Amino acid sequence: MALFYGLLIASMVLLGGSAVYALFWAAGEGQFTNMEEGSKIIFDKDEPEGEITDAFPGIDAKKEIARKQARRLSTAGAPKS
Amino acid sequence: MSNAATSKPVSAPLPDIHDAADRAAVDASCRLPVLSFFASAVFWLIVGTVFALLASIKMHNPQFAVEIPASLAHWLNQFYPLVPANTVETLNGALTFGRVRPAHLNTVAYGWASTAALGVGIWLMARLCRVQLRYPRFVTAAAVIWNIGVFVGTAAILLGESTGVEWLEFPAYATFILFIAYALISIWAVDMFVHRRPGHVYVSQWYIMAALFWFPWLYATANILIHHESVQGSVSAIVNWWYGHNALGLWFTPMGLAAAYYFIPKVIGRPVHSYYLSAFGFWSLALFYSWNGGHHLIGGPLPAWVITASIVASVMMVIPVVVTAINHHMTMKGNFHVLEYSPTLRFVVFGAMSYTLASLQGTTMAIRSLNTVTHFTDYTIGHSHLGLYAFFTMIMFGSMYYIVPRLVGCEWRSAVLIKIHFWSCAYGIIFMVLILTVGGLVQGLMMRDAAIGFDKIVENMVVYKYFRSVSGVLLTVGHVVFAFHFSLMLLRLGRTEGGPTLFRPLETT
Repeated sequence: MALFYGLLIASMVLLGGSAVYALFWAAGEGQFTNMEEGSKIIFDKDEPEGEITDAFPGIDAKKEIARKQARRLSTAGAPKS
Repeated sequence: MSNAATSKPVSAPLPDIHDAADRAAVDASCRLPVLSFFASAVFWLIVGTVFALLASIKMHNPQFAVEIPASLAHWLNQFYPLVPANTVETLNGALTFGRVRPAHLNTVAYGWASTAALGVGIWLMARLCRVQLRYPRFVTAAAVIWNIGVFVGTAAILLGESTGVEWLEFPAYATFILFIAYALISIWAVDMFVHRRPGHVYVSQWYIMAALFWFPWLYATANILIHHESVQGSVSAIVNWWYGHNALGLWFTPMGLAAAYYFIPKVIGRPVHSYYLSAFGFWSLALFYSWNGGHHLIGGPLPAWVITASIVASVMMVIPVVVTAINHHMTMKGNFHVLEYSPTLRFVVFGAMSYTLASLQGTTMAIRSLNTVTHFTDYTIGHSHLGLYAFFTMIMFGSMYYIVPRLVGCEWRSAVLIKIHFWSCAYGIIFMVLILTVGGLVQGLMMRDAAIGFDKIVENMVVYKYFRSVSGVLLTVGHVVFAFHFSLMLLRLGRTEGGPTLFRPLETT
C-alpha cells in the first residue's frame, strides 16, 4: 500500500515537475524571444503569407475573391459616374 | 507583405519547388499511418452515431430494438455446436439503454474523437517538425492495436462487462490494449520532436506534445485507481470526474486547439494575431484545467474544499478561453469572407467559436447557484455535446478536409457533399444543444419544485427527447455523407485535375 501511494505521489511530482522543466527549457532555448517571427514558421516560400491554401474543389479562392472585389468596386463606382 | 504569387513567374522558381517538394515528401510519409487513423475514426464515427441514435430513441421509446440481440441469438442457436450453448443469455440485453449509452460514449470518445485526434496530431507533428514521418509502420501498428482495444472494449460493454464508471467503462483488459497503443504514439512523438528540424517550436506542437504526454499518464492512473481497493465509494467518484474532465481538458481540448492554431492562420495565410497570447493561453490552460473535475460533484459527499478549489479553477479557465477566443477572432478579422470558399476554415472556425461558447458556459455551470438547477439535467448533456461535438468534432472534420487530399493525391469529389455535411452537422448540433439546454432548464426548475412529482417531470421531458432524436438524424445525415465522400477519397475517386488546395506549386513547374 505504501508503495502504491509512493508511486502515485512520485508520478504526480514528476508530471508537475516536467511541466516546469519544459517551461524553463523553452525559455532557455529562446522559444519566447522573437515570437512574432516564430508565428510565421507555418508559411513557406511557395505558400507565403497572404496565400489562401484551401478551397472547395473546383474553386480558386483567390480568383473568386478578386472577382467579387472587382464586381463590388464596379457596382459601387457606377452610381457616381 | 510580399506577394510571391505575382513574382513567381519572374523569379527563379528553384527555392519554391524545394519547399513544395519537401512538404509533399512529408505528406507522403504520413500517408499510411494517418489514413489508417482517419479510416478507423470514420468507421467508429458511424458506429458511435448508430449507438447515439439508438440511445436517443430509447429515451422516448424504451423498448426500441431491445429484442434484436435475443432473436439473433435464437437464430444462431440452430448452429449449436458452432456457437456456445449460452448465446441467448450472453446476447440478451445487449441493446438495452444501460449498455447502448456507454457504448455510444466510448465509441465516439475513443473510437472517433481520439482516433481522429491522433491522425491529425501525427500529421501536424510531421509537418511542424518539418521532417518525414519516422517509423510509419510503428505508427500504423499503434493504429491497429488502438482499434482492437476499442473493439474489445465496446463488445465488453454490450455484453455487460462495463466497469460502470463513466468515461472509464472499458474493462481493464481493453484499457490495457488502448494504453499500449497510446504509449507507442507518445514514444513516437518524442522521437519526432527530438529529430525535428531546428528552429521555432510552433504553438500547436506545444499543445500536441503536452496532450500526448498528459493523457497516457492520466489514463493509466485513473484506470489503475478505479480498480484499486482504496478507491471506493465517493473517492471513486472524484477519481472518475478527475479523469472525465481531464480527458476533455488535457486531451481533446489541446488537440482541438492545436489544429485550430495551425489551420486558421495557414488557410487564410496570415500569422496568428498575437503569438504572445497563444503561448500565454497554453500555459494558463496547463495550470488551471487539471483542477476542474470536482465541479461535476457539486453537492456530492466530498470535502467542501475539493469542490471549491474546482470551482475556482473553473472560473480561472476564463483566462485561457478568452485569450484563445480573442486570438482566433483577431486572426480571422478581415478574412471572414474566406469562409465562403474554404471547407476547412468553415468547420474549424465553427469549432473555435463553439470552444469559446462551451467553455464559458462550463464556467457558469460550475457556479453553485446555477449548478443547483442544471445538475442532473439535459442541460449538462447539451453542454457536453457543445464541447465534444460543436467544438472538437467540427475541428476534426475541418482538419480532415485539409489533410486527406494531400495524402491521397486527389481533390475532394464534390463541393455539394461537403456543404451538405457542413450544414446538416451545423444545424443538427445547434438544434440539439438548444433543445437540450431549454429542456434541461425546464427539467431543473421543475425538479426544484417539491410540489411536482418526478413522474410529471419525466412525462414533460418526452417531447424534448423526440426533438433531440430529430437533431440526431440531421447529424447522422452529415456523417453518412462524410463517410461516403471519405471512402471515395480512399479509393482515389476524387478529382484529379489540379484544385487550389493541391500541389499547385508543383504543377507550375
